[in-house]
Amino acid sequence: MNSTWHEMINMTRHGFNRRRFLHTVSAASVAAGTLGFRDLISLQAEELRKRHKAVIVLWMAGAPSQMETFDPKPHHENGGGTKAIGTSVPGIQVAEGWEKTAQVMQHCNIIRSMSHKEGNHRRATYQLHTGYLPAGSVKHPSLGANITSQIADKDLEIPSIVTVGRGVDGGGAGFLGVNYEPFVVSQPGSIPENSAPLVSNSRYAKRLNLLGKLQQEFSDRGGRTVVQNQNAIYGKASRMVQSPSLQAFNTDDEPESLKSRYGNSQFGKGCLLARRLIEHGVTYVEVVSNGWDTHDNVFDRVATLASQVDPAMAALISDLEDRGMLDDTLVIWMGEFGRTPKVNGRGGRDHYPRAFNAMIAGGGTKGGQVIGSTTPDGTRVQDRPIAVNDLFRSICHSLEIDPELEHMSPLGRPMKIVDGGEVIQELFS
Amino acid sequence: MCHYIRQWKRFGLLGFLVIVASSPAMAGSNMNYRNHVAVAQQVDQLIEQNIKEKGQPIAKAASEEDFLRRLSLDLVGRIPSVGEMTLYSLDPDPLKRDKLIQKLIDSEDFAYNWATYWNDVLYSRATDSRAGRLQSRDFINWMKENIETNKPWDEVATELITAIGDVNGNGATALIFAHQGEPKEITAEVTRIFLGIQIQCANCHDHPTDTWTREQFHQMAAFFPRVAVRRNRMKGFNVFEVVSIDKERKSNAQDILNNPQRLVRTLDKNGDKKISRDEVQGKGRLTRLFGRFLELGDKNGDQALTAEEIQGIPLPGGTRRASTEYYMPDLQNPTARGTLMQPAFFLREEKVPSGLKDAERRALLAKYVTDPDNPWFAKAFVNRIWSEMLGRGFYSPVDDMGPLRDAEHEQAIELLSKAFTQNGYDTKWLFRTIANTAAYQRSIVAPSKQTDGDEPVAFACATPTRLRSEQIFASLLELSGLEMNRDGASEVRGPARRFQNDPKSKFTNLFNYDPSTPQKDLMGTIPQSLFMMNSAIIDKMVSASGNGPLARIVRKYNDDTDVIEEIYLLVLSREPSKREMEICQDYLKKSNSRNEAFEDIMWSLVNSSEFISKR
Repeated sequence: MNSTWHEMINMTRHGFNRRRFLHTVSAASVAAGTLGFRDLISLQAEELRKRHKAVIVLWMAGAPSQMETFDPKPHHENGGGTKAIGTSVPGIQVAEGWEKTAQVMQHCNIIRSMSHKEGNHRRATYQLHTGYLPAGSVKHPSLGANITSQIADKDLEIPSIVTVGRGVDGGGAGFLGVNYEPFVVSQPGSIPENSAPLVSNSRYAKRLNLLGKLQQEFSDRGGRTVVQNQNAIYGKASRMVQSPSLQAFNTDDEPESLKSRYGNSQFGKGCLLARRLIEHGVTYVEVVSNGWDTHDNVFDRVATLASQVDPAMAALISDLEDRGMLDDTLVIWMGEFGRTPKVNGRGGRDHYPRAFNAMIAGGGTKGGQVIGSTTPDGTRVQDRPIAVNDLFRSICHSLEIDPELEHMSPLGRPMKIVDGGEVIQELFS
Repeated sequence: MCHYIRQWKRFGLLGFLVIVASSPAMAGSNMNYRNHVAVAQQVDQLIEQNIKEKGQPIAKAASEEDFLRRLSLDLVGRIPSVGEMTLYSLDPDPLKRDKLIQKLIDSEDFAYNWATYWNDVLYSRATDSRAGRLQSRDFINWMKENIETNKPWDEVATELITAIGDVNGNGATALIFAHQGEPKEITAEVTRIFLGIQIQCANCHDHPTDTWTREQFHQMAAFFPRVAVRRNRMKGFNVFEVVSIDKERKSNAQDILNNPQRLVRTLDKNGDKKISRDEVQGKGRLTRLFGRFLELGDKNGDQALTAEEIQGIPLPGGTRRASTEYYMPDLQNPTARGTLMQPAFFLREEKVPSGLKDAERRALLAKYVTDPDNPWFAKAFVNRIWSEMLGRGFYSPVDDMGPLRDAEHEQAIELLSKAFTQNGYDTKWLFRTIANTAAYQRSIVAPSKQTDGDEPVAFACATPTRLRSEQIFASLLELSGLEMNRDGASEVRGPARRFQNDPKSKFTNLFNYDPSTPQKDLMGTIPQSLFMMNSAIIDKMVSASGNGPLARIVRKYNDDTDVIEEIYLLVLSREPSKREMEICQDYLKKSNSRNEAFEDIMWSLVNSSEFISKR
């Protein structure tokens, strides 16, 4: 059985490969006496690559206050005086400051009953990215890396998984390896650092050709594997450098009117870039907004942040909709936990993982609904508690990925993409 | 005896005498483990015998130029300078390999290079990613001094396990700091790094592939409940310290909520079996916390708490910190306190006395871990260093050994580990010994034609390995001829350092990897190759104008062949082969500009996988 496992890992690690696949099927068939369940999943994944499903995560680093975003409590002292406003969906209210998002509420599913136990930023961020708690000795792949390894287009000339902003804990490929490590863009809007050759295109091509010839010697002298790996990465990098798709990173040619809808903030530019990247075939983009750790002055600080995130998120959702991409693109707004319902002495709110909110749009979800609720004072989940693995399972469901699929960690311990949890059915029915 | 006769035929008379003199069988318990050459030969003998039993051929020794480059990268962390290459090749001494090994091990760069290795080992798995940024320099300085003074490995391990105090200027706190004093994480890392055993799978259930039980993991964690990492706000925003907490420190809430029935009995004035805000007036802490308790516990919203409701109030986060003993979590009921664990080391039978202070607990664990009777301590270190130098370990991954794993050439690692222990965990001795083995000094060219994808028998030939970030950085510095501190960031302080905007930190962030990763999983990244292909730094380095290394060569030599040879020596520390010379000459002929052609050649070599690999 071990050799089968090994093949499975090769397959999931390095993408679908027909020759390898046939080999695996025969090995698996010998072991199980039939075509295995996972072989079918692999076939299905191949189909999905063609459909180009994608995910955009809008990550509110530092943990956003639920009372000042999508679970306002205007009638309770814990609401802190934050007003609620109506939305495009009768009966659904959100906090003031989110007027533009309110107008696309028909596409949005607010989850007000998220809950977990980690009150530490790093550990919770790791959990909300990998589905697992950090364990120093195992580096879990992020859900994004898992998704990319399953459905990304292998022929894409630019990286399939991109983070806009500073990378976050648990956002890496972990033991899935460099192929699924997110490509980090720190300056959204222009093409990435070092991706413009400093010599003419023809000379660049000549150099690559010479490099290939000169590598032969080392390859023959015992360095074959090393040279092969290097060729693979250089092939990818130089394809990217020379690819027209590289222009996906450059937002100069977007109409000014659209740019101004997204807003001039780094986050707004990041969201516009996210849409462009998905359009060019990227599978997973995470756009990071920093500064949500509002232990003091929560109302003013969230107002400032919302003035950047609200227009960007609303523009992203309607732009995806306008282009007919929203059904296949899952947009997730979230942070690592929520904030204390009771306002502290400095007009701030502290860490609160017991009850917080998240929002999901597109990707085949129903939209226009609120899932779960908190008590009037906001201290507890009142109904429909949603755990991290429920959310992750639902993301997999939207992308038609099998959450039970196991990767072998380097220590030979199988790990599911999502451990436990149930799909949030309301999202899809 | 016929065994020795066979060896006599192989080594000749001299070899026979060395083997007889150093053989444990011949010399009994008096074997001279100190003699690194003798031990190296014994190790080789065991390995070669094994390979031959498998019917496999053995590669020839690496050429002098390959050996010099390999040794420089392994010991001092950079490619050799052109001057060093010349001196070495002109040295007629037949023992010059051992002489060079000795010289490099005694250099300051050796200490710095391996200090950065341990820095990567410790911080790559840090659960607090901020720790490395804040403390790396302190750790490297501390480790460098340990290596320079050849502090025995058991002492280094003991200091890391028992560290206490301000993390600034105290590199020994690295292991505790990197994991925020969290007992389970520290337990996992202590066993992984110092014993090469992965016990952390037993955190949640008995280990699937080893014999460790869940209880054993948590017994080991019970050595650490009293250690904590705290921010010391008196000294500044980012000042942390490792402290011992030996006094039971119940939090206010925990203290009050300990006995709900009694609390209600004593405070309930009106006999309604619950306590209200009026009834807790003037009760100090309870009065202050009551609002919070209502928020958390008042299920029916009557603004009063019954004993049952109080029972249901979850204990605040950080409760663990308030306890001086360790509790194994109850998997069925995560909010419950769990089972009290008595500290115990999973490789020893004896019981640890109860109630030990933090310092006593950790000192005792350090003693258990480093005890010469615990074979895994020496083996883990030997396997790690061997694996880093040869590109392949006796056990792989380097940190997953343990009694149920199979080692390649098990007798060889047993012997080397025993000798390392006998030498009082003398790390420089181990480096000298490994570098002196024929196994280390073999060529990377596989002795027979290997079919695609087949891995040669372990240590039958050398394995090309990817350089660590520090090695690439130092090699780029070496070939550019810049006089710059290896710790390029040493002068950068303040915000640039904190946000890692200095060139050295940016380079490190780009090229760093966890050195415990098996070599075959290291494939490089796109941003790395973009840096090598297109960054202004590399562009300047390969420029034939200005004052870069290529410009100097082009000015100095008129003959094309000379220039090509010099470029090869400078970048790859070897002369070009006949075929390579032809390719380069041909490229020159087809180019309009001689200088541009040389730039392209130099660019290709800097971008070659050979440059970022050890061969």
